[in-house]
Amino acid sequence: MAGSRRDERARVRRAQAGSASEFEALFRAHWGPAYRAAYLVVRDAAAAEDIAQEAFLSAVRSLDRFDRRRPFGPWLHRIVVNRAIDWARARSLRPEAEEVDAPAPERPERDDELLRELGRLSPEHRAVIVLRYLLEYTPGEIAELLELPRGTVNSRLRRGLDALKERLQ
Amino acid sequence: MKFRAPHEEESRERAWAVVRAAYAQREPVAWPRKHARPLIAGAVVVAAVAAVLSPPGRSVVHSLRKTIGVKQARPALFSLPTRGQLLVSSRGGVWIVRRDGSKRRLGGYRDAAFSPHGLFVAATRANELAALDPKGNVRWTLARPAPRFPAWTGTRTDTRIAYVSSGKLRVVAGDGTGDHALGRAALVAPAWRPGRGRVLAYSDGRSAVVIDADTGTVLRRLAPAPKRLAWSSDGRLLLVFSPYKTRVYDGSKPVAADDPSDATFDRDATFVGPTHEVVAVRAAGSPAGAGSSVFSISTGRTLFRGTGDFDRITWSPNGRWLLVSWPTAGQWVFLEPGHPRRIEGVSRISSQFGGFPRVEGWCCAR
Repeated sequence: MAGSRRDERARVRRAQAGSASEFEALFRAHWGPAYRAAYLVVRDAAAAEDIAQEAFLSAVRSLDRFDRRRPFGPWLHRIVVNRAIDWARARSLRPEAEEVDAPAPERPERDDELLRELGRLSPEHRAVIVLRYLLEYTPGEIAELLELPRGTVNSRLRRGLDALKERLQ
Repeated sequence: MKFRAPHEEESRERAWAVVRAAYAQREPVAWPRKHARPLIAGAVVVAAVAAVLSPPGRSVVHSLRKTIGVKQARPALFSLPTRGQLLVSSRGGVWIVRRDGSKRRLGGYRDAAFSPHGLFVAATRANELAALDPKGNVRWTLARPAPRFPAWTGTRTDTRIAYVSSGKLRVVAGDGTGDHALGRAALVAPAWRPGRGRVLAYSDGRSAVVIDADTGTVLRRLAPAPKRLAWSSDGRLLLVFSPYKTRVYDGSKPVAADDPSDATFDRDATFVGPTHEVVAVRAAGSPAGAGSSVFSISTGRTLFRGTGDFDRITWSPNGRWLLVSWPTAGQWVFLEPGHPRRIEGVSRISSQFGGFPRVEGWCCAR
């Protein structure tokens, strides 16, 4: 995570004022979670890089308008996950098979299996599971991030987890 | 879940090179005075109370609006800055404004839209859709429950009007015949695709739906659930606008996006004249941070900003002038964003239209 909320607010303020080093600190603090979230939804490293990069470019374009009283991370994650869902939906409309990047080799086998099965869920189910268990948002926060009713988030989580459990057994 | 994605470090360094370059090129735009917003927000509250309590208070409100709005604004709409005519609606009805500033009230209608060449106007009121000529003469009417948001398309000889009534999207021919329903629809203005064929985008409340209006065939469903829909003038791109998520599609492929931060939202968005560039109005999301800006989604460049709320933005038919509705200041602001930038404010807009008007269209450079 990106340090305390107060530190982050100060960092955003200084980045808005033109401090490149503070903006770099923001970037480095948030790149990992953003890239991983995108990767887990799209299962394609190149696409995940594009999506996370585009989210940061969007942050640069909107930096002057960003409200510092709000945390930077959830805003960035909302952009990343929404775009990742858009990308995954668009790809699901294309019939051709596409190569999926292998996960990092040092991961234990069980993680490989879990990630492979996660990739077989729908983008919508993948997104809520990534937000809940990778980025550790509450269902209420996920509902706000994705503009969904909380009941929909809960049911997607439940169905996604049930599907994972069934496939991993 | 502990996890590291493949190529995380390399991707971070590649992305940082791109993002750093974008950051270096940005132009930070400061508010004119550091503490202006809270002071003005407080003053607005005081003035509003004063206006309620005493008649002289109204002059305080007027003074404050002058403080907020564009300085040296004209006291009335003497003329439009470029060719074309405006169609506006307000509590006082629907009006046409010509380039020389002359206004004609067409009647007590709620929504309105120009015909494709600006020769007629489709307008709605309680239970009636009507076609009018520019003098307000009624050509035909159609009784339907609570019709809203007419949109007119076609050629000089064959036209269609789409509108929403009783939760249904309906289409009627330009002569008032052949009215029929096409599907469930939310209260959002439908948008005809320019060019050949009768392709229509509307909201079903869950997503944007693109249909062939002649056959009723659904061509695409696109996220998010929109509050406004607009096609680029060449009919290639579709803008699907919502306050918290906006997408521009080329077919089914998103080609541009805007995601406001958590405490802000967008009020409107539109294509820049005949181009594929999109500009949006961003508003602060809390009462204490009452500021608005007009900016390009494509470049992030801020075109105009001010205190309080902006409402709609509308481009002139030639794509050179942007009309920004600014209810907090009681002004319309005409903005030519080129170099040098030109700004022309018009104050006391509400008193000229019997309420602050909504711009329905700026049509036809004749």
